[in-house]
Amino acid sequence: MSMDSPRLRLGVLGVVIISLFAALLARLWYLQVLAAPELRVEAQRNSVRLVESEGTRGRILDRKGRVLVGNRVSNAVVVSRQDADKKPEILGRLAPVLGVPETELKQRIHDSRFSPFKPIPVAEDVPKEKLIYIREHQSDFPGVDGVQLTRRDYPGGELAAHVLGYVGEINEKELAARKTEGYKQGDSIGKGGVESAYESDLRGRPQIEKLEVDSKGRVLRTLGVQPAVPGNDVQLTIDLDLQRLTENSLVAGLETARDFSDRESGKRFSAPAGAAVVIDPRDGSVVAMASYPTYDPREFIDGISQERFGQLQDPAGSFPLNNRATQGQYAPGSTFKLVSGITALSKGLIKARDTVDDTGSISVGNPPRIFRNAFGQVNGRVNVSEALVRSSDVFFYQIGSNLWDEKNRSRFGPTAMQDTARSLGMGSRTEIELPFEAGGRVPDPDSRKRLHDSNPEAFPTAGWFTGDNINLSVGQGDLVVTPLQLANAYATFANGGTVWVPRVASTVLDTNKAPVRTIDPRELRKVDLPPGVRDPMLQGLTGVVADSDGTAAPAFSGFPLANFPIAGKTGTAQVFGKQDTALFCAFGPVEAPEYAVAVVMEQSGFGAEAAAPVARAIFDGATGGEAKPVTRVTAVD
Amino acid sequence: MLRDPRNPASPLRHVDGLLVGAIVAISGLGLLMVYSATRNQQTVTGGTFGTNYYVTRQAVFIGIGILLMIGVALVDYRYLQDVAPILYVGTVFVLLVVLTPLGSSARGAQAWFEVGGFQLEPSEFAKITFIVAISAYCAMHRSDLDSSRFMWVLALAAVPMVLIYRQPDLGTDLVFAGILIAMLLVGGARPRHLAVLGVISVLLIVTIFQLGVLKRYQVDRLAAFLDPQGDVQRTTYNLRQSQIAIAAGGFTGRGLFKGSQTNLSFVPEQHTDFIFTAVAEEFGLMGALTLLALFGLVVWRTWRAAVLAKDRFGTLLCVGILAMIVFQIFENVGMTMGMTPIAGIPLPFMSYGGSATLGAFVGLGLVLNVHMRRFA
Repeated sequence: MSMDSPRLRLGVLGVVIISLFAALLARLWYLQVLAAPELRVEAQRNSVRLVESEGTRGRILDRKGRVLVGNRVSNAVVVSRQDADKKPEILGRLAPVLGVPETELKQRIHDSRFSPFKPIPVAEDVPKEKLIYIREHQSDFPGVDGVQLTRRDYPGGELAAHVLGYVGEINEKELAARKTEGYKQGDSIGKGGVESAYESDLRGRPQIEKLEVDSKGRVLRTLGVQPAVPGNDVQLTIDLDLQRLTENSLVAGLETARDFSDRESGKRFSAPAGAAVVIDPRDGSVVAMASYPTYDPREFIDGISQERFGQLQDPAGSFPLNNRATQGQYAPGSTFKLVSGITALSKGLIKARDTVDDTGSISVGNPPRIFRNAFGQVNGRVNVSEALVRSSDVFFYQIGSNLWDEKNRSRFGPTAMQDTARSLGMGSRTEIELPFEAGGRVPDPDSRKRLHDSNPEAFPTAGWFTGDNINLSVGQGDLVVTPLQLANAYATFANGGTVWVPRVASTVLDTNKAPVRTIDPRELRKVDLPPGVRDPMLQGLTGVVADSDGTAAPAFSGFPLANFPIAGKTGTAQVFGKQDTALFCAFGPVEAPEYAVAVVMEQSGFGAEAAAPVARAIFDGATGGEAKPVTRVTAVD
Repeated sequence: MLRDPRNPASPLRHVDGLLVGAIVAISGLGLLMVYSATRNQQTVTGGTFGTNYYVTRQAVFIGIGILLMIGVALVDYRYLQDVAPILYVGTVFVLLVVLTPLGSSARGAQAWFEVGGFQLEPSEFAKITFIVAISAYCAMHRSDLDSSRFMWVLALAAVPMVLIYRQPDLGTDLVFAGILIAMLLVGGARPRHLAVLGVISVLLIVTIFQLGVLKRYQVDRLAAFLDPQGDVQRTTYNLRQSQIAIAAGGFTGRGLFKGSQTNLSFVPEQHTDFIFTAVAEEFGLMGALTLLALFGLVVWRTWRAAVLAKDRFGTLLCVGILAMIVFQIFENVGMTMGMTPIAGIPLPFMSYGGSATLGAFVGLGLVLNVHMRRFA
């Protein structure tokens, strides 16, 4: 048999060997030539790590350039993760020096927010002596070092917290939305207010370090550094002094209200919350914006604990994180008479001299339904101006009622008041740049019907009746507005009919204080306010403050109205199941208005008694007068 | 006779210079790559090793190996036929002893003797004595292996293989199997015996070589089976890093000491089992092909020595060494490229390691021995 030849058998062996080598060559060709490009990328990625350090965030300044949010340098102790893993006893030695429990240090070391290639800050604002101690005993603390970190700084503490917002760690939703802008896990991002609205201006470009690492993640050398670019500063329209005054006045007003009781029920006012807004009617700039209760943005600097954040979200605490000026929605009460008055005058339903005999109540419908003035006060014959001054509800009830009779409904349409309200900016967002703004609600026959159709059980009424128009005429019913909308509506009346989009920021500045861009005032629309409409209204609103029988006269007694005439309107809104909301809207000086103010205080009683004194204090400050303590006055509106 | 310069059959006149040259070239390249792979390596014990630790030791191993090769080549191989039984029994004895507390274990295998700072791995030398024993047995029977002799050969192979399995060192057992099959083929086994053995082996190999029959995790497990030290995930990672390193080399390589995979120790055991990846990354396809060509040269000259050998014993000795080298090259290089399962088999003359290097040089000494005495 041929197989018996050793030569042939060696030949077979040779063929086997050649095929084995051929297989190796084929595979080598595949790996090094065919598959090489993609695998080579992986080799690169293997050994190069990009480590980002956030750039310094821009500052937030007030309208005069004073710092509202800045940055400060914090002496921090950092620990290399590798050293801490290798020699866990380092942390045990470090704990007593820093006065931080060892368990907390361990937690920090394993916090995934920090890059594994950078030393981890385990303690901040460490006194210099402790840093020196660590440096002098460096052999006891391998991998421990002191560095200077920049931290967000709030010189005013809680001042303007709602306008400024706060900075926190980016969450998954924000990350998904901003992936293309270079954000990554662990980055900080503005979470509310200006910090959020001007995030892209404030955020700097991070420093990117290109590091070469070995298979164990040890850093071998730095391949390159792309330096950080600090973020731009944002200059606000907020005036620090007036902001502080507004906040203090609001707090004082609410605190004072708690010492008084409701005249009908005798119960103390709880006055848990409120808001006050000051805007410049000339261009919609927000000069001050206060919301109470408030919070401390400093709590968010290094990440707020779940527990503390839970407390801030607890309804019992009245949601201090909410900016009530833009997110709070309130029945405007008599402050809405601005709208019903303008409607009646501009539609020609009434003329300035037309009067209504205010007998204290009005009866409409069959069976009759009776609507009364507060305390059933009788005002006699009043025209529109007088009705505003004394807050005659009956006068406006009559307007509401007449606007809904068949003749006028066909002449002016079924939503005459609502149209005016909407043209003044109610029922939709003002488009201020601050996030989470609420739009309010202006009810009308259509919206009533839609609500009923969508949920007949919760909304049993499908129709709109005379009583609904009467309620609307004095700012009650389903109507709700935000304090900012109220302020903006009065600002519009004050400036003669221009609806501005409110803004809190005016300029973005680079680090050399050169403007990068300006946030120009934006005109939304014009509302026609001919003298025949504006003059009687203005006369009434001025009388509210200046006339001896004006509802706000007690609050403004002693105010230099001759130099700085003010027009305003008090309001007291009934809220089902709660004590009355006190409101006051005003602007001044009347002929060339510079400030429009809205004050809204929950469960605080009459606007004339609780809210008007707060506005008075704000005007005191705005006119350079002496800031007097807010005191409750006795008045009815 | 050895010293007679006038005799045309004098062995010294027929030393295979090409083979020696190829071995020296491979060993030199091996030294360079051991240095490249270890110069940045931090030691576990904390830095008492210098960057030259591995390369110095390997140079010493190569030096001793060359001396051993010369020594082995000088003594007429035919003398080995007579002492083969003693060598075989001695080997079995040593393999037994290494399993006792006299042997030491490292990386999960009881396979070494500690001798003055060096670790001797008897299984590396057992390969050589095994080849000598099988060659002697087949030559004694003039390559006429009937059923009972065939079974005898299998039995002779089984004893050391079982002992090595006990260590456990499955990689070396695989080499034994490769050597055995090649020697049975050339040693005169009947085709039907070979066929039966072949069918059994093919079944085994097909199972092992993941021809789509096995699921990925089973392949991983198999890999872990062959490499009991490493856990499955680590094995897969190693394999990936190894292939990335080879691919990173491309055509011309990244240059000596410039391979990031090599320098940054992404590839494990790169100075030992995965040394081929260092060549492939730093010298690219050109370097890898050169290395394989040098190995091809060694294989060709060894095969030629088998063909030209004066007697059956010489032929079989060369076939055994040939099978040992080829199998180790194929398994080792194939492993780094993900073709063959991961098993701890060194690349001859390249991988860092004393016993393997010495064993390979002794084997080459035998081939030179047979080749230079083909006329004597």
